[in-house]
Formats: sequence, structure tokens, C-alpha cells
Amino acid sequence: MKKIALLLAMLLSCGWIIAQDARSISKKAENAINLKSMEMVSNLKIYNARGDERTRKITTVTRKFGDVTKMMIRFIEPADVKGTTLLVYDYEDRNDDMWIFMPALRKTRRIVSSEKGKYFMGTEFTNADMSKPNFDDFTYTLAGEEIVNRLSCWKIESSCKTAALENEYGYSKRIAFIEKENNLTQKIQYYNRAGELLRTQTISEYKLQSNDSYFAYHMKMENEQNGRSSVMAVDQLQIGSTLPEARFSPAMIEQ
Amino acid sequence: MQQEKFIVRNRWWFIITPVVLTIISTILLSKVKINSDLETYFPETMKSKTSAAIIEESFGKAEPFLILFESDDILKQATLKRLKDIDNELNRMGYFDEVISLFSMKDIRGDDGMMIVDPQVEMIPDTKESTEKLRESIRGNELAYRTVISDDFRYAMIILKITDNVDDQELIDGLRQLIDKYPGDEKVYFNGMSYLRYEANNKISRDLTILLPLALLVMIFFLFISFKEFRGVWLPITVVIVSSVVSMGMLPLLKWDLSIIGVLIPIMMIAIANNYGVHFVARYQELNVKHPRWSMSLIVLKTLQNLRKPIILTGLTTIVGILGLVTHLMIPARQMGVVSALGVGLALGLSLTFIPAIMSTMKKGASHKAFSENKNGIITEVLSRVAIFINHSPRKTITIFAVFLFVVGSGIFFLKVASNNDRVLSPKHPYNQSIQIANKHFGGTRFISVMFEGDMQDPELLKRLDYYESELKKMPETGNVNSLSTIMRIMSRALNDQGTEGYNAIPDSRDAIAQYLLLYSMSGDPDDFESIVNFDYTQGLLSIQFHADDMKTLNRVINKIETLTKDDPAKKVVAGFSLTEKEMAHSITIGQIYSLVFALFAIFLLLALIFKNAVAGAIGSLPLVFAVICTFGIMGITGIQLNIVTALLSSISIGVGVDYTIHIFWRLKNELSEGKKYPEAISNTLRTTGRGIVINAFSVILGFAVLYFSAFPYLKMFATLIILSLLLCLLCALVLVPAICMVAAPRFLGSEGSSYIHPLKSDRKETLKRENVQEEEILQEIEE
Repeated sequence: MKKIALLLAMLLSCGWIIAQDARSISKKAENAINLKSMEMVSNLKIYNARGDERTRKITTVTRKFGDVTKMMIRFIEPADVKGTTLLVYDYEDRNDDMWIFMPALRKTRRIVSSEKGKYFMGTEFTNADMSKPNFDDFTYTLAGEEIVNRLSCWKIESSCKTAALENEYGYSKRIAFIEKENNLTQKIQYYNRAGELLRTQTISEYKLQSNDSYFAYHMKMENEQNGRSSVMAVDQLQIGSTLPEARFSPAMIEQ
Repeated sequence: MQQEKFIVRNRWWFIITPVVLTIISTILLSKVKINSDLETYFPETMKSKTSAAIIEESFGKAEPFLILFESDDILKQATLKRLKDIDNELNRMGYFDEVISLFSMKDIRGDDGMMIVDPQVEMIPDTKESTEKLRESIRGNELAYRTVISDDFRYAMIILKITDNVDDQELIDGLRQLIDKYPGDEKVYFNGMSYLRYEANNKISRDLTILLPLALLVMIFFLFISFKEFRGVWLPITVVIVSSVVSMGMLPLLKWDLSIIGVLIPIMMIAIANNYGVHFVARYQELNVKHPRWSMSLIVLKTLQNLRKPIILTGLTTIVGILGLVTHLMIPARQMGVVSALGVGLALGLSLTFIPAIMSTMKKGASHKAFSENKNGIITEVLSRVAIFINHSPRKTITIFAVFLFVVGSGIFFLKVASNNDRVLSPKHPYNQSIQIANKHFGGTRFISVMFEGDMQDPELLKRLDYYESELKKMPETGNVNSLSTIMRIMSRALNDQGTEGYNAIPDSRDAIAQYLLLYSMSGDPDDFESIVNFDYTQGLLSIQFHADDMKTLNRVINKIETLTKDDPAKKVVAGFSLTEKEMAHSITIGQIYSLVFALFAIFLLLALIFKNAVAGAIGSLPLVFAVICTFGIMGITGIQLNIVTALLSSISIGVGVDYTIHIFWRLKNELSEGKKYPEAISNTLRTTGRGIVINAFSVILGFAVLYFSAFPYLKMFATLIILSLLLCLLCALVLVPAICMVAAPRFLGSEGSSYIHPLKSDRKETLKRENVQEEEILQEIEE
């Protein structure tokens, strides 16, 4: 009896060790990228199932002020939407605040939206993909190892803890392939509750930044259900931003 | 005599071959595919189909499927909870590209300098107050009101866009399981082509499993009553079974599917294919009574000799009539024409080979009076009176028919063509009930799309779309009309304050439109637009949802759309299932005319050839013309519409009905050649052949009457009309044709009172002796 109890205890602790391992790998992967403020110019390419392409060029400036991350996205191309600017206040504990300036209307409008897990700028990336998910919203398991992009990777499965979280994130679980050496995520697969693959994200062109963290210059999201895909490629990146907080205000958005 | 002997000598070949054919066909038959998709019944080259293909090329084929929920108030907490649960599961099922419901709807509005984008239902209301607030909000949301919620809040609709290649059976079964998983008080209805196909498929199988045995039973009963002899039942029935199985087996062999009208093929075979066998058995019984000394082989040979010509002639005319269907535009009608003609041909062949071959191996049965033999029954009594009337007043008879034709035939001007496929299932079927609900409380179940090509962000083009939209919305038939301009108006209301410039209007600049679109794309799924504008904004759709119960309303809506967009330089194409339906209706009419003209012309030609006289063709075609015109007239008067099934009517009734006239001509010619005058010839013809024709017609009518037990109203209607049509053919052949012959005394029938000596008028002993010698000679030949 004692032997069985001991065996059970060992098995349980092993399970705990494995789970803990998966958690810590994920944590490390999260910490490998750490950009609180930056300025960048990027190209968004959106493809439909037939391969037709739509391109948008944007500048993004992000800075964190206290608990609030403020982000300003301005469209540079195409010409007909040039100058359209989106200002987002990303709060930790409540819905985002959002304003849009549309040059054709010459006015700024506040947007109130309670919708989450929706698509970012009409791409296959969701808003949830563009920001860090809350680490404790998931349970982590190590599902093995695999070679991705010729790199040896951990295969970590993260499942939403509740159905509400599933709805919020728009998926039920994701499988991340995290490269062993630098803990950089190479690929993420998103699944629904029925176990169907919804989307696949491939992340590449990691570059080490001045603050010792990494930044991926190329991200691709493929929608496995409808064949559409989007690519986000960073043209220029500057770590840190000197843009004063006053410029992140709705009144100044037009400038 | 040589051919007859050949059959008796090689009888085993004539017995084994059909058996082998049947076995092969049965194996083939197991591979037959049922196709209840009405759209595929018409060729791909139809204009509406090619137009639809152009739109599908850019916007994909989105076959909508509707789920309707009925409740006393949809906004009740329990109902909303159930809807939400079902909606969640539908999104996870993987069968749908899109699930549009109250829960997928966004409420986009402007309020106090803000643009607010919320899900229409953020939380399921739990108080009366919050319920009423939600109700008000839905009323103000033009994307939701009357689209996913009915005007009286008693019905909710979930619109599903089915992914390609989802099996109908799998889909419906999955949905049923899902509905059962979340039980509730709400009544649930399904609607959509896949549901129609699923239901029709099941009903085709059900019809075949019920109607075929029933038709066979009816036939067996009829044959037993007629012959009171076992062989009189199983011989014709075997011919029926073999020819039905072989003709149905042709379908998979030719890679054709079994359609809804395909159900008619075996029923038709049962009704028609026994005719020839019946004649054979009847003549056998007649000879058996008349010549008790004759051996079986002799009776068989004699019967064959007597019947070969009339059976081949009536068989040929039936085949030609049915082949009229080959000219039809509807694909299954053509296939049915080919397959049934082959089946009738086979039945004809079997009756002249297989039946005599089998009978020649049998012992003679007990003497029965043949069913076509002259005896005094009610039919003979009635026919005798009819003969007296014709003989007494032939001109009056013709006049009565002419007046009847004129009065009833004028109903043709009221004949309508069925405008839609809703009537494939019975009016009480949930599918049709859901259409009623959708027509009354939502925008309707019909859709037409107009595709525009050009710069879809051009304000001028969008303003034109906006104008079309507003004009179309004025029509009482239209429900929702949507295009890119609808979205522009919604955005303009959210981005501008009421009363300011730009509120509820299409922006004047292209940039503003591009920016509206960009903003809208941020607040929704990337595919939100897919159904109204293509990826690079070079093609857009104006979608019109409406309801129409008849062709007239359908045409009104289509004409309005056509007139409005006629001069628009950006208009590319108009398409929609409603247009296909309109074209289908048109091709049903044209197909009807083609097959009618073909069948009439072919019958005219055939009769003229058989009797070597064009007048025979003309008089012989008369009953058919009469029956066809009167049937259509009655359809017009009673409001029965021409549809995919009733359109087959004239070819079949011509093919079957022409036989009666041929029999009458044959007998009249015989009677006259025996030196009789018209009154006596007509009287004899009606009392003998006439009686046979009546019994034969009733056996065919009985066969078709089985269709009353079909699950398809179309087939029931067909039963009524084919019976009516055959009765009219019968009436004409028995009354009008003799009257016309009496008045016109056509040359092809021969002249009255010619010097022909009937064998029975000569020395009877001499005849019997001659027959005995002949019998011995034949028997000896066979033995050799």
C-alpha cells in the first residue's frame, strides 16, 4: 500500500514537474520579448484565399505611462487612407479606450467597443495576438519536442482555463513551438474546442535589441479555415520613444 | 409463321436472356444515385446559371441555410439562453463559413461625439426593463430588425452560410442533434436548399419503397380479377418487373441520377408495360375456349401470329410519344424519355418473345372466358348505347365535342407556370411553413444579386447604389436590400452627429469612403464585407431579399431591378436563384411545347405510314390534340399550375392514348372489310374492341392512381392530370373517332360493304378441318 502511495506521489510530482517546466518555458518565452516603448514602421499585407494582395503601411508608436500602455497607429499608405490615425489606451483591468482621426472628415471620434478577440486592422491577426495574453489565463503542458525552421523546439500546449476566456481569446488552446536555446517562439497553432486548427502563426527574423530583448521583424498568420493570410513585416524599429505623453491625447491626434 | 416457330424452338434463349438482363440491372440499380437538387435538372448553359457562376467566381457560392425559432417572445430569458447556446455550438461545428444571428450582430451607432460598436446582445436581459431596452435597440438596428428578429419579436432567424462540400444528410442530422441537445419550448424550423434536397431525397426513397409494391399489388389484383388464372398474373407482371428493373438499371449505366420525376419511370412501366402481355394472355384464353383441341404450342403460335402486328404498332406509337420527352429542356425529362422508351420497347419485345417462350413450355390451363371477350356487362351496355347515339347523330356528336373543346380549351389562357420549388413538398411541411413565416415576418426567402464592376469606392457609384436601394425598398415585396452603400450610411450615422453635414449620407469624397471602410474593417471580421464587395474593391453586390408567391410578383421585382439598373455603366450581371426559377418556368413551357409538337408530329407520321394515308394521321391525332388542349384548359380553369412534373404530361398521355385510336381504326377496318356498314361496324367495334380498350385504359389509370400515395404533391397532381388526360383520350377514341369516320368515311378504312367472305360464314366443318390439318403440320414441324 505504501509502495503504491509512493508511486502515486512520484507520478503526481513528475506531472507537476513537467507542468511546471511547461509554465517556466512559456514564461521565459514571454520574457524574451519585452518592449514597453518603441517606434516602428511596418507593412501589413493581407491576402485572400485566391492570393490577391492588399497592402497597408503604418507607423506605430508605443509608450507605457504608469499602468496604461498608449499606442498611436498612423496609416501612411495607401493614399486614400493616409493620415488616418488610431489612438489606443490599453488598460490592464478594463476595456481599451480608442479614438480615431479621419482626415477626410477632419475630426476625431471616440470609439467605444466592448468587443475583444476581434481582428486587427482587417488582418488575420486578432487584437489578442497583438498584445501579450494574460499568463495565468492558461494551463500549460509540455507536449513534446519538434524541429521547426531547423531549430529544436519545445512543444507547449496552453489551454484556456474557462469558457469565458475561450470566447475572449477566440480559441480554446494554442500550441507554441519555442526554440530551446533563446526561448523564442517560432510557430503558434490556434485550435477551437472541437480540436480543429483555426490559424497558424509563424514568427521569424528575430533580432536582438539594445535592451537585450528580441523583436520579431516578420510575422505571418494563416487562417486554416478560409485560406486567408496576413503578413506583418517591420521596416524600421526604434527601441524606446521620446514622444511626450501630451502627444498621446485625443486632442493632439490630428498632428 | 417462320418467326413464330423460331421463338418456340429457341424458347430457352428467350427465357434465360431476360433473366440474365434483370440480374445485371439489379446489380446496376444498387448503384443509382438520388438527385433531388432541382437546379441541376436544367442545363448549365442557362443564362441565369452562367450569370450566377460569374458572381460565384468573385463572391463564392454561399448557399444559405435558415433556422427559425418560434416563441411567444424571443427576448424571453430562456429563449435567448437557448439561442445563445445553439449559436455558440453552430460556430464550432465547422460546417459554416458564417453564422449570422442576433448574437453575431453589431450595434454600430453614434452617441454624443462617440462611435459605439457593441454586440447587439451584450448580456441576456434578466429584467423587464433591460428586455424592453434591448427590444428598442434591435428595432433601431437595420442590420438586425427583420433580418434575424421578426417584426413582432415572435421569431428569430439564424442564417448559416454553408461551407462547400458538406453532405446534406450529415448537416441536417448534425443540426437536429444540436437542437435536441438544447431543448426548449420554441418551435424550430429549417429552411434552405440543402434541407429541401434532404427531405426530397428521403421522400424519393420512401415513394419508391411504398409506391412500387403498391402498384404491383394493384396490378396483380387487377390481372387476377381479369383472368382468374395464375399465369395471367405472373406472366405480364414478370414482363413489368423485368422492363422496370432494366429501364431503371439504365440510369446508373448511363451515369444518370434518379430525380424526383424519375419516380414516375417504374410507375409508368407498371401501368403501361403489362398491356402487351395482357393482350397475349387474353388471346390465349380466347383461343383456348374456342379451340379446346388445340395444343398449347399451336395456341401460342396462333396468338403470336394474330397479335404481332397490332402489339408492335401500339408499342411503337407509345415509344414515339414518350420519346417526345427527349426534346425537353429539363435534363431528367430527356433521361426519362430515353429510359422509358427503352423500357416500353423491352416490354414489347418480351411480350412477343419471353411470354410465348414460357407459355410454350406450359401445359394448357383450364378454359376461362377471356376478359376482352364479348359479354354483356355494364361496360358493353354503356358502349352499346354510345354506339347507338353515334350512329343516330354523328354530326351532333362531333358538335358536342367541338363545343366542349372550345369552352374547356379556352381555359388554356388562364394556365399558369409554377414560379418556385416551394411546392415540391406539401404545404403543411415545416419547410413551407418556414417560408410563410419568412415571407410574413422577415424579408422573404428569395434573393437576387446585381453585380457592379468599377471603383467601388467611387462616391458616384455608391450614390447610385443608394438610389436603387431606396427605390427597391419602396416595393411591398422587398424585405432587405443591402450593398456597400448600406454600410456607408450606417458608418455616416455613427461618425457624424444628427443634424450635421454628412449624417446618414454617402460621403462625397473617395478618401472619406476609403476611411469609412477602413474603420468598419477594424470593427469587424475581415470577411464581414465579403458578401458585398470583393477584396480589391473593384466588384460589388446589391443584394435584394424579397418574397413572391407567383410568377407575376417575381417578374415585377425582376423587371423593377432591370429597369432601375438598365443604364448603369458599372452593372455587370444580375443573378439569383429566383432568376433561375424564372428561366426554369420558361423552359418548362418551351419544353412542353417542343415535346408536344414532336410527339404529335411523330404520331401523325406513324399513323399515316401504318394506314398508308395522311387522313389516318390527321384523324388519329385528333383525340390526342383534344385531350391535350382540354387537359391544359382544365388546368387553367382549376388553377393547377404547369410545373416540372406536369410538364411531362402531354408526351406520356399522347404515347399511351394513341393506342386506343389505333385499336379502333384496326377493328373498324376489319369490320368494314367483312362487308358491314358503318353503323354495324361501329357497334361491333365498341362492344368488342371498345370494351377491351376501356379495360386496358382502366388498368393504366389504376397504375397511375397509385401516385396518389406519393409524398410529393407534384406527383399526386400528375396522377390527377394523367388520369384526366387518358380519360379524355379514351372518350375521344370511343366516341369522336367513330363519329368522324362515319361522317367522313375515310378511304384508309376501306369502303362499306365490300365483298369479303368471313371464314366463319363458309363451311364451319371445312374451316375446322383445315385448322386441324394446319395444327398437325405445325406440330410435326416443331417436333422435327
